[in-house]
Amino acid sequence: MSNYEAPLVPEGGPSDLRVETWTSEPLRRRDKLGKWRNPIGMVGAAIVLFNLFIAVFGPQIWRIDPNALDYMRFERSSWAHPMGTDELGRDTLARIIHGAQVSLQVGIIAVSIAFVGGVLFGLLAGYYKGPVDTLLMRVVDIMFALPGIILAIVIAGLLGPNRRNAMIAIGIVILPAFARVVRGAVLEVMGFPFTESARALGASGRWIMWKHVIPNITAPLLVLVTVYLSVAILAEAALSFLGLGTQPPEASWGGMLSTARTYVGIDAWLSIFPGLAIMVVVLGFNFLGDGLRDILDPRLGPHVGGGREKD
Amino acid sequence: MGGYILKRILFAIPTLIGVTIGIFLMVRLLPGDIIDILFGGDLNASEEVKDKARAQLGLTGSYPEQYWRWISGVFQGDLGFSLRNTEPVSDIILGALPITLELVFLGLLIAVIVGVPLGVISAVKRDSAHDYAARVGGLVGVSIPSFWLATLLLLFTSRAFGWVPPLNYTAPWDDPIANLSQFILPAISISVFTLAIVMRMVRATMLEVLGQDYVRTARAKGVNRRTVVSKHALRNALIPVITIVGFEIGVLIGGAAIVEIIFGLPGIGYVLLQAIFGRDYPVIQAATLLIAFTFIFANLLVDILYGVVDPRISQE
Repeated sequence: MSNYEAPLVPEGGPSDLRVETWTSEPLRRRDKLGKWRNPIGMVGAAIVLFNLFIAVFGPQIWRIDPNALDYMRFERSSWAHPMGTDELGRDTLARIIHGAQVSLQVGIIAVSIAFVGGVLFGLLAGYYKGPVDTLLMRVVDIMFALPGIILAIVIAGLLGPNRRNAMIAIGIVILPAFARVVRGAVLEVMGFPFTESARALGASGRWIMWKHVIPNITAPLLVLVTVYLSVAILAEAALSFLGLGTQPPEASWGGMLSTARTYVGIDAWLSIFPGLAIMVVVLGFNFLGDGLRDILDPRLGPHVGGGREKD
Repeated sequence: MGGYILKRILFAIPTLIGVTIGIFLMVRLLPGDIIDILFGGDLNASEEVKDKARAQLGLTGSYPEQYWRWISGVFQGDLGFSLRNTEPVSDIILGALPITLELVFLGLLIAVIVGVPLGVISAVKRDSAHDYAARVGGLVGVSIPSFWLATLLLLFTSRAFGWVPPLNYTAPWDDPIANLSQFILPAISISVFTLAIVMRMVRATMLEVLGQDYVRTARAKGVNRRTVVSKHALRNALIPVITIVGFEIGVLIGGAAIVEIIFGLPGIGYVLLQAIFGRDYPVIQAATLLIAFTFIFANLLVDILYGVVDPRISQE
């Protein structure tokens, strides 16, 4: 603030005053955050961080065993059990915390499977084009011919209902989406003059991939990872709800909702908390994805942020 | 136009063939011999009995032979028999399909009827309170699990009105009112995701169209706001929305599959899940195939419709 010398009343008269005072303070604060100033994205980031914190440190803070049985069944909210207890007297809060770990684990592993496979296929298809591209994209088309959750249900069901298989199923189902976006981005980058000149200078295929293609597709990939984490978490909840994911007695949000349905006439709150948890976490990842898309990659289509500021 | 439709249909054929191969292989390549699972625990089952079961299921011969036998059966309407109750699979599947189709249709209808006006208002009154509510509501809409929403709706109607939908399925041609009262809650639950997507899309395309020269020209000529929005802008803004409807039908089918179970509607998702838990392979294959066919067909219709609405597409 030492070099602040703007006169209180500028020379142009009162009409300029508005402009001066209007730009001086907010602009300076805006510069620090720059394009990262995105309220929806910030809220999303906060929710995601909170979820991460709960999953990692939750069991240390709330030290009740999520599987400990008790004769106090269908308890209402109290200091001992802030979210009450379920049909076997288990503490709902502890089970929600355990569910946070489950959903995050499934989300991260499923998205990792999709990421590795999708990036590999997308790079191969986009770089080599020709028959490799045609074949891979045909497979992607075929996978898209089945609604995602149906494919996940069938794969998880045929592999056998447990959490590991649910992760594999979800990973396989979202893989084509990654492959398609990576391929599109690779094709775009391959068309840029700097890639052409690198190739003209004799750079090898591997060099072009590492030095030119991969750095240029990180932004769309980051957005994709965030968005598909929400998809994977939602899918895990759906599979567990159907009995094809995490198996009881282990706590998972989808599984809790499934058993809560049986007791909905006795204790409606059992149906509220797990669903709320799913919604808030998925919302967090969606907010974050939306914000990141605004900031990093305006190419990825229409979004909530609106399109006015595109340049 | 005719050429465009023909081209679209021809494009769908390889996908259809690919899907049949994919489903065929998926059921066979995943770990676990079907016969071993069927006779699971029955150690006394002789090879003879197992061979007989194999022949019955069409599991003899090489993969191409098996595939050919299966696919020619599909074209003749012969999908084999259910392992559970030896009912013809085609009967089970065809009984379930109308239920899912009705649910998906109602879901789509709700999503479009509610989503389009909300998106338009949001775009026209940009940055107003309504706009913000719609944008946040849109993100909430894509984050709320349909099966939780279904539970909440049931909870709400039972607490507030003491009403829960009837549990026995009634066909619409028997009693339309009873049918609708049964379908309304599940249809709302699956529509919310699509509604949010449609709303966001309409808002984005409307904003784009409202900034175009011809809209400004129309306003400058003295056409009133309402006419400009409804006649000039909305018509063009809706064209891109058609493309997402194709994808959304898949989402709706998936949502329907889960919600059917909650409401006890014996649709295709319900059948599929029962078959998965019962390891009823002929039914799994057939149900998956039918869902894929429905989805591909719906996308084909959407593509053709897109060509009709936007002549630029069909002339390419």
